[in-house]
Amino acid sequence: MAGSTFWRSKSVRGIVLQGGFLALIAAVVIGATLTARDTLAAQGLTSGFGFLRKATGWEMNFSLLPTTTSDPYWWYLLMGLMNTLFMGLVGLTGASVLGLIVGLMRSGRNPAARLLGTLYIELFRNLPLILQLFFWYAMANALPAPRQSLEIGGALVNARGIYLPGLAIGPGTVALALLAVASGACLAVWVLAARRFRRMEPQGQRRLSLAALGAGLALAAVTVLAGHEPGTAWTSWPALAGLKVDGGFRIQPEVYALAIAIMTYGAAYVGEIVRGGFKAVGRGQMEAAAALGLSPWQVFSRVRMPLAFRAMLPILINQYVWLIKATTLGIAVGFSDFFMVIASSINHSGQTFEFIAILMGGFLLINFSLAAVLNRLNRAIALKGHQTTGVQ
Amino acid sequence: MDLTAPAIEITGLDKFYGSFHALKGIDLCVAKGEKVVICGPSGSGKSTLIRCINQLEEHDSGAIRVFGTALDDSLASLDEIRREVGMVFQQFNLFPHMTVLENCTLAPMLVRKTARAEAEAIAMRYLEKVRIPDQAQKYPGQLSGGQQQRVAIARALCMQPEILLFDEPTSALDPEMIAEVLDVMVTLAQEGMTMVCVTHEMGFARKVADRVIFMDKGEIVEEAAPEAFFTAPRSERTRLFLSQVLGH
Ligand SMILES: Nc1ncnc2c1ncn2[C@@H]1O[C@H](COP(=O)(O)OP(=O)(O)O)[C@@H](O)[C@H]1O
Ligand SMILES: [Mg+2]
Repeated sequence: MAGSTFWRSKSVRGIVLQGGFLALIAAVVIGATLTARDTLAAQGLTSGFGFLRKATGWEMNFSLLPTTTSDPYWWYLLMGLMNTLFMGLVGLTGASVLGLIVGLMRSGRNPAARLLGTLYIELFRNLPLILQLFFWYAMANALPAPRQSLEIGGALVNARGIYLPGLAIGPGTVALALLAVASGACLAVWVLAARRFRRMEPQGQRRLSLAALGAGLALAAVTVLAGHEPGTAWTSWPALAGLKVDGGFRIQPEVYALAIAIMTYGAAYVGEIVRGGFKAVGRGQMEAAAALGLSPWQVFSRVRMPLAFRAMLPILINQYVWLIKATTLGIAVGFSDFFMVIASSINHSGQTFEFIAILMGGFLLINFSLAAVLNRLNRAIALKGHQTTGVQ
Repeated sequence: MDLTAPAIEITGLDKFYGSFHALKGIDLCVAKGEKVVICGPSGSGKSTLIRCINQLEEHDSGAIRVFGTALDDSLASLDEIRREVGMVFQQFNLFPHMTVLENCTLAPMLVRKTARAEAEAIAMRYLEKVRIPDQAQKYPGQLSGGQQQRVAIARALCMQPEILLFDEPTSALDPEMIAEVLDVMVTLAQEGMTMVCVTHEMGFARKVADRVIFMDKGEIVEEAAPEAFFTAPRSERTRLFLSQVLGH
């Protein structure tokens, strides 16, 4: 009798079932690993991660920090991961800004703007991303040869890339300066939005936010000053030197083609999410705000946008995670993101299992952290209590 | 703003929705301190009329003056009028992402540029008046309908308006919560607030109204003091309506 009550207890049964399930998975994984090791050993291949310290012997065509063929695999993997993060950052930011514009156009009153927004979404959402990527890459390659470079306001554009005039400082300094600006901007938004600053006077809050932004810019300026080699020119202008371009700041075709593809494609989806978010905000709340005397901008920034953002965020999180994964398409045009570095490493070293494990670990890490941060934000701003009117 | 002028002066007001004539030549004058109750069947244009006063609806012709300030196309006159005219909605329309206190301090701080400490002191005073000071740190979604509507009244009062408009403030409430909202409205009326209330609460109309207005099909059919309105309605349409809402 005692045995049967034991089994009837719901929590006990739950624990036993969960435990059994975990044990089964563990058995499968361990079994597969052991079999793989035996097979590999039989073929004369060694497993383990010692190869990470070996030099790669091949070149990476784009990295944020310098790489040479004598750099070890772990450095290449790190640079690949940074490229993926960089493309994710550029792509998601661009897709969000463009998507917000498209979404606002679609939810506005102007019929011409609405039509334009609809056309945009239908066009970019209904063509496969890889096709769009090839299109942008083909466009980039169809630009004239270096000797016939187009000059646009000091920048040179040709099939080898876009050469922008820039400060004569190293890429590491540029990265640090951009990081400083981005941190300042994040801090500024946080001051405006976070609960802990809600009790400040609006003017004081605005000033503190501007101060944060200013501090970021100042830090960037100091970084640039420190990174600049004394006695050399401050700016670097791209100029034709024989068959190639010297100076300036080069953006390779595969980099900007992929960035444009991710941004424009992502924007079509973000635009629909934005429109849905604005639709979910009840008219009543906006009317109440207007009746209280708030200006149209104040109604938008204090009521409409915050409520729409809360409606959008859960869906945006999925979209962002999806877009980060989509950056792996870069391999099709030769952008050395994490995925491409892994693929090349497998080709050159033959350590398939280890690299695929690293690949999966890397993407899980990126996407779990992104989702964790955004979900935390989502919980922090979620509306409290039961919503009877307004936000559906 | 000329506080000696009539609080609201509407002449020849017309409003169309497409080809539908929603308000047909409305004339209405409300004196400072006066309490006017508007009733009438659903769809008769009551909401449209009071929403024209603070321009949540734009009118097509006719004139609206609030304390002598004419509502023209200028944004300045609209701002001025919205500062002096508060509104309470059927669906409360509180801001769900802000606490009760923030709901009450938002407009005074943004529109009147009141400092936060002062805005909060004013808010607490009005939350006490509507008898929910203890809910100040809660969010609207955590309150009952009656409490939400009282917050909405406090929020409107925090702008310290000269006039309050009510659009069926108790129609979305469960019966047991109607009294707590009406009590607050009666208190406001007794303190001399100028009020225009669209409501079918005839007990409230009897108790506080200086004048009851009956609307039907976009027109003012009848207006009279409550006693005369309820005991000796002149128009057949009014009699029919009264027999329906009073249930005899
Ligand atoms: N935005 C609108 N578009 C078209 N018709 C409307 C709109 N708002 C109200 N109406 C019409 O105007 C008439 C008056 O509406 P309303 O003022 O809301 O009536 P009440 O408040 O007396 O019930 C109704 O017939 C309604 O259908
Ligand atoms: Mg109505």
